[in-house]
Amino acid sequence: MASTQVIDRWQSGVDRWSGGVCPFAAGWRKVMMWWFIVTDGLLFAGFLASYGYARILTSSWPDQAEVFSLPYIAAMTFVLISSSATMAGAVDAAKRGAWDGALKFTLATALGGLIFLGMQAYEWTHIIGEGARLASNPWGDRAFGAYFFLLTGFHGSHVLTGVIVLLTTAARSAKRLSTAEGVEMTGLYWHFVDLVWVFIFTLFYLL
Amino acid sequence: MAHIDAAHAGSAGGGGRVYWITWGALLVITLIMLVLDSAQVSRALLLTVLLGAMLVKATLIAGNFMHLRREHRGLIATVVVGLFVMGLVLYVLIAPDASRIHDMVMRR
Repeated sequence: MASTQVIDRWQSGVDRWSGGVCPFAAGWRKVMMWWFIVTDGLLFAGFLASYGYARILTSSWPDQAEVFSLPYIAAMTFVLISSSATMAGAVDAAKRGAWDGALKFTLATALGGLIFLGMQAYEWTHIIGEGARLASNPWGDRAFGAYFFLLTGFHGSHVLTGVIVLLTTAARSAKRLSTAEGVEMTGLYWHFVDLVWVFIFTLFYLL
Repeated sequence: MAHIDAAHAGSAGGGGRVYWITWGALLVITLIMLVLDSAQVSRALLLTVLLGAMLVKATLIAGNFMHLRREHRGLIATVVVGLFVMGLVLYVLIAPDASRIHDMVMRR
């Protein structure tokens, strides 16, 4: 079937499931990215469910306010939320064809990611210096250290991956090799990283 | 396919104002969560408000930043229902059962 016929059938709403051309009226890259986000989200959901289970079963879970500096964690949250906003700006600029703006916003997002990673490295150094390890810690239940390093480490590895993808996207944008859809895929991943932090921040640091 | 890419590319442009409003809302909600966390309120109220605020923030990010609210209904349903059902399985079915097994082991 000719490409234009396929597009016409899709646009008429007749053929949205006929062979994977446009399932959900979205490009295949976007659909695959959403599948990745759902499956990766389930991985984090499993971690957080396991953490919730550990919290319920123990009476000696440390008081987070004594272990962490909540204003510092709030600053990390501010950086990540702001980087998500600049990423949205990059996607918006790319869709308008404003590639200089897209490049600047993408670089600002990568900078936000690097700042977040630096802050997290400082936090880890501080916590390790206080005596926290995977199997022990000086504040309470021994599982606390394991969950802290597992949850924040796994999220941090996602941030690091995101920064690499952002810098790659920025380099491609600078050479005008990127497409608007490519920038959007990078944005979807970066917003997902921000989304996961919303849950970690609330469930692990606040509750 | 270039036509399709162009169509999708155009579907989410021009949202600058929405992005900055969302950014502001996320920061304000985070600030409220922090203030409430350090205030003297009951545990039940704290849990309710913080979990509610967390879900509102997640909805704002997914809906506005990730443009999920502008996507096809089938995609929205697959993402949201998929995660919601799996969340229910994890928290409503598996967690209580794990707790029951833990109690059985402790009684031995």
